[in-house]
Amino acid sequence: MTVDLTWLYDRFPLLSECEPLQPGGQKWVYRCEHREIGPCVLKIIKPGAAQRLDRELEAVRRLDQLSSCNVPQVYDVGIIDSQMGPLIWLLEQYVEGTDLFEVLGQSPLSRDQVLNLALDLVSVAEEAESVNVVHRDIKPRNIKIDPDGKAWLLDFGIVRILDLESRTRSDAVVGPHSPGYSAPEQFRYQKRAIDGRSDLFAIGVVLYESAMGVNPFIEGARDRREVLRRVENDPLPRLELEWDVGGLFSDFVSALTQKYPYQRPRSCTEASHWLNDIIVQLGGL
Amino acid sequence: MELYLQVGWGMMEHCRTLCQELGGSTAILSPRDLDEDQLIRLSTELRGLGGSVLLDPQFYLPRADHHRLTSHAYWPDDYNTTGFAGDGRQVMTRALVACNRRLQTTHLIVPGERADIVDELWLESQRGFLEAARDATDQPLIMTICLSAEAIRSNDQINLVMEQAEQMSISGYYLVAERPGLAYLVDDPQWLANTLDLAAGLRRLETDVIVGYSNHQQLIMACAGVNAIASGTWMNVRSFFPDKFRSSYEDEIKRRATWYYCPQALSEYTLPYLDIGFRLGLRDELMPDPPTPYANPIFEVSQPSASGWTESDAFRHYLTALNQQVHSATCRSFVEAVATHRALLDRAEGVLKRFREHGISSPTRGFQDAVDANRAALIILERTHGPMLGRRWADFVSDAHHE
Repeated sequence: MTVDLTWLYDRFPLLSECEPLQPGGQKWVYRCEHREIGPCVLKIIKPGAAQRLDRELEAVRRLDQLSSCNVPQVYDVGIIDSQMGPLIWLLEQYVEGTDLFEVLGQSPLSRDQVLNLALDLVSVAEEAESVNVVHRDIKPRNIKIDPDGKAWLLDFGIVRILDLESRTRSDAVVGPHSPGYSAPEQFRYQKRAIDGRSDLFAIGVVLYESAMGVNPFIEGARDRREVLRRVENDPLPRLELEWDVGGLFSDFVSALTQKYPYQRPRSCTEASHWLNDIIVQLGGL
Repeated sequence: MELYLQVGWGMMEHCRTLCQELGGSTAILSPRDLDEDQLIRLSTELRGLGGSVLLDPQFYLPRADHHRLTSHAYWPDDYNTTGFAGDGRQVMTRALVACNRRLQTTHLIVPGERADIVDELWLESQRGFLEAARDATDQPLIMTICLSAEAIRSNDQINLVMEQAEQMSISGYYLVAERPGLAYLVDDPQWLANTLDLAAGLRRLETDVIVGYSNHQQLIMACAGVNAIASGTWMNVRSFFPDKFRSSYEDEIKRRATWYYCPQALSEYTLPYLDIGFRLGLRDELMPDPPTPYANPIFEVSQPSASGWTESDAFRHYLTALNQQVHSATCRSFVEAVATHRALLDRAEGVLKRFREHGISSPTRGFQDAVDANRAALIILERTHGPMLGRRWADFVSDAHHE
C-alpha cells in the first residue's frame, strides 16, 4: 500500500515537492514544502485493524500539548477520506539534522554532547509525563541532532496515553517495543507497569551508547531473542568515563536502566532534578 | 532507625522494664501470646511509661488454630475464601479497629495473609483488607506484607508487591519476611538482597517501614532507611515462624537454653562455650561491646555457667545491646550507613575467626555464614537504590526521628 502523489497534492494543495522519508511502521511520512510554512513533514497514519480514529486523534492532541523545544511542532491535524477509509494526517515541523544512529556511527559523543543529550531527552520525557504520555520508542534512530547540537525526539508512533484505553490487544504477550532499548515491562507487555519510567530506561540505554559508542544489549547478539534476554537478565555495565568524577553520571545511567520500574527514579521529574544536580556537581556545561 | 519490641510469650515484664530503660519504646503486641485483658493492661502500663503500642493482628494463616489467637473477638469464627471476600473482611476489620481503640494504638496494623506466592488472589486480599480498614477507621494505617521465603527470593514477585504498593496511599508497611528453611540467621544472599530491596523500594515511596520479627541480622535494614526493626526475647519473635500460630507448635520455652549475645561477633553462645573462652584468656574479647549492665554477672565470675545468669538477663542483655547497635547503625548519610554496616561485618568476621581458633563456636546462632550474605545484599542495594536513597537520605533520617 502506498500513497499516490497526485492524490496527495489533490488533497493537500498547499504542499509540493513531497519526498517519502524512511517509512515508519504505522504511517507514511513525507518531507514537503508548504507554501506558507516552508519545509515540513506530512504524516499519514496507516489504517489498521485496531485503529480507532477518536483515540488516534486524542494521541495527536496530547502530543500537541507538548511545548517542548525538543519535539517537532505539530502545525495541523485532520482526517481525510481515502479508498482505504478515513485517514488521520498531521503536518509537523521539519527538523534539519542527522539522526543519532548515524552520528554514533562516526564516534561516541563528547562529555558536553552526552550531558546535553541527557538534558534534552529527560526534559522531553518529563514533559510527556506531565500529559500522561509515554513515548515507548526512544532510540538513536528516533533522535535527531540538529546543526546546533540540539537533540530532537521524533516519531511518537507507538506513544501510549496512560489515561486512555490501550489500542493494542489486551491478550497480546509482547508489546510494541524496540529490542535493546525498550524496558522489560514494555516488551513483556505489563501494561499496568508502563509509565514514564519505561522511557527513562530507554534514555539510559541511549546515553550509555552515546558515551561508549556501543549498545551492550545488541552488540554481538545472535538474534532479537538474545537481545531481549540480555535486557531482561543482564545489568547494563557501569559507565567508566574519565570526565565523570565520582561516577555521578554513571550512577544516574545505572539507576535509569534498573530492571524494574520501582528501582528507577520515581518519575521523570525526579530524574530531571537529579540530572541537573549532577551537571552542577560536574562543573556545569 | 529504632528498635521496637516484638512482644512474645512471657515478655510482659521485660517490656515494662525495657520500655522504661529504652526511654519509651514502641511495643508490637501479640494476640497469640496475650488475651485481651492482658493486652489492655500491658498497653496501659507501657503508655504510662512513655511508650506506645501497636497490635499485630497475626492473620498470617487464616486457618490458624492457636487457641489464644483464635479466641480474640476480631478473629473470624468461620473462614472460607468466598465468604471472607464478601463481608467477612469488613466484619473482622471492624472488630479489630474496636480492639485497637481499646488498646489506644497509634496506628492500625492492617491484617495481611502470608503469601506463599504473590499472585492476583493475594494482591486482591491485600487490597480488600486495606479498603475495609479505610472504611472502618480514620486511624493511620500500616499495611502488613507477609511473604514466604520463596516469594521473597523471586525478583518478579517483589516487583508485583511494589507495583501494588505504588498504588496504595498509606502511612506505612509492616514487613514480615519468612526465612529460607525457617533459619534464624540467613546465609542466602538472594533472600536478604530482596528483603532489603523491598524495604528500600517501600521507603522510597515516602512511607514508613517496620521490619517485624527481626534479629541483629536486620541491622542491615538501617542502610535501606527503614524506620524500625522489631525484635524480642525468644527466637520465634526474632524470626518469623508461621507454624507458631498453629496449636501443634512446640514452644521454645519447652526447650530453653540461655544464650549470651556477643554484639561485636553478631553471634550468640551458650554459657559452657563462655567457660571455655574464659579458660583460654578470651574474657575481655567476649565482653559485650557495646556493654550492657545485664551481662555484668557473667564477667564477674571465673565460670559463666556457674554465675546464675538467667534467661531473663539474657533477653534483656540482647535487647539492650541490640538497641544500642540500632542507634549506631542510624547514620547521617547512605554512604555512612553502608560503611558502618560493613565495618560491623568486618569486625564480626575478625572476632569470629579468633573465637573459632580457640574452639568457641555457635553452630546455630553464629554469624559466620551470614557475613557474606549481608555483604552481597549491601552491594545489590548500593547498585539498585543506593544513589536514590542517598539523595533522599536526610528526609528518611528525619522521618525516623520524628516517629
